[in-house]
Amino acid sequence: MRLHLDGSTSIDAEKETVFNKLTDVKFIAGTLPDAEDVNIVDPTTLEAKLKVRVAVVTSTLKLRMSIADTEPTSRAKLLAEASGSGSHLTISSTFELTGSRPTTLNWSADAEITGVMAGLGSSILKGFATKKVGEIFAGITKALEAEAA
Amino acid sequence: MEVLFQASVDEVTKLIGLEKRELDILEDADAAANELLVSEFEKYVERKYNPEIPEVLKRHNLMGVPIEEKYGGRGARQLVQALFLERMGQSGMGVITFADVHQCLGSMSIQDWGTEEQKQRYLPRAAKGEAVLAYGLTEPEAGSDPASLKTTYRREGDGFSLSGSKYLISNGSVASNMIVFAYPEVGGGGLTAFLLDTKQKGFKVDMRLEEKIGLFTSDTSMLTLEGAFVSKEDILGQEGKGFSVAYSALLNGRIGIGSGCVGVMEDCLNQVKERVTSRVQHGKEIGKHQLIQKHVAFIESSLEACRWLVYRAAIKKDDSEKDPKSLPLRAEADRLSAVAKYMASRCAFESADRAVQCFGGFGYSIMSPVAKHFLDTRVARIYEGTDEIMELKIASSVLGKGYEAYK
Repeated sequence: MRLHLDGSTSIDAEKETVFNKLTDVKFIAGTLPDAEDVNIVDPTTLEAKLKVRVAVVTSTLKLRMSIADTEPTSRAKLLAEASGSGSHLTISSTFELTGSRPTTLNWSADAEITGVMAGLGSSILKGFATKKVGEIFAGITKALEAEAA
Repeated sequence: MEVLFQASVDEVTKLIGLEKRELDILEDADAAANELLVSEFEKYVERKYNPEIPEVLKRHNLMGVPIEEKYGGRGARQLVQALFLERMGQSGMGVITFADVHQCLGSMSIQDWGTEEQKQRYLPRAAKGEAVLAYGLTEPEAGSDPASLKTTYRREGDGFSLSGSKYLISNGSVASNMIVFAYPEVGGGGLTAFLLDTKQKGFKVDMRLEEKIGLFTSDTSMLTLEGAFVSKEDILGQEGKGFSVAYSALLNGRIGIGSGCVGVMEDCLNQVKERVTSRVQHGKEIGKHQLIQKHVAFIESSLEACRWLVYRAAIKKDDSEKDPKSLPLRAEADRLSAVAKYMASRCAFESADRAVQCFGGFGYSIMSPVAKHFLDTRVARIYEGTDEIMELKIASSVLGKGYEAYK
């Protein structure tokens, strides 16, 4: 099953700061909700265990995420693969920055989901993903604005 | 807008016509249904009432869809109300049950039968969502036969006190006001409808009925009335004429349930289409297997047949409201609402069953998007008129009054 999400958010920080942070795997690791056992493999790759809660059911997924195709200070790709509890996810996302203080972050993500999680159906998954992405970007914005202040 | 709903709206617009303000209601319904997706799913799996339903409806100004604009509602005719409930039905019958009871059984009964003072007192609050309405007809010993209700009233001071039990009442423990039906304690008069404030002393929620086989996100309660007081201004309609109130409410409610069931079939079709075009077994998508296509064909055909049956009942009800003194129009609206509810609830149940089949083993889990429809549509064949009562009504509408086997 394929899912597409996109959106944009405004961050009250310099474009360069936003770019540097979003391409810093240590920073990214800190913004992942419910991540455990985070391991920074190299400057562009991290691994972690991700607890995904859907209603009363919690699944543990092994995540590998990497940063690719960086074009300082405008755009980059975040690629992720996660497996566990009978499900497999492949996510390819791109972000692009425009303006500076405030910096507009435009992002899009394409996910391919197979296994048990796919059975939930795209409408439910999209609803959950939208909610989760909203939480992630709220965390990113808060962290970046705190640093820029 | 969701694709199947958009198709319904486009077709109705083309064939019948919808005004801008009516299309606005339907846009709001689409947004509200999307907003309810996650909470409905989560609460369903937790088997809990979803308190987000009234909140989301309030945020989108959808608590008073059929209430006249002069009382703060959206002034929707029955056809638009049906389309609104069709979209909400995609979220499940839990949402429909809340909205149908609050609007079709509650608000519309007050609008149809209330005095001007009652309308001013209740409808603006119901439209804003400050009041949530329930409908107290069913009792432990009276379901399809309201003549056997045991709840009674007696005169007390400037009003009446009500005593008895009400059972399987949707919105029962979350309602601020409810329409309650009772017989006089003495004198053998007819059934009377009252507007009861649930904060009144003597009103008690006995239990929330959570041992249901489905419909988890809808509140279902057993209520006890122990001398609950209503003033004489709280009689809805005329004293002793409660059957007329009850039956007209059920006519509205049946179109509402039929509309919700159309939405369920739309969601079943969407979910099945996605599943059978992505699930691979025996080297190909299961949708390429002919026996799976049989299920797809059934759901699609049921949806198309029931959609227009429901719209037709709604249009006939609108005609009847324009000419309320016409008994033939009213009888026709009554007949078509029974046919629409009967067919749509049965087809929705079978469509949900077939959708579960297309999902295979995962369809048997309430984590799947179709299991809830299978569990929930079962009650649509029972509440607001069982299959059997609908069959008797439909048959006697064909054969004539002398064949009313339910009387």
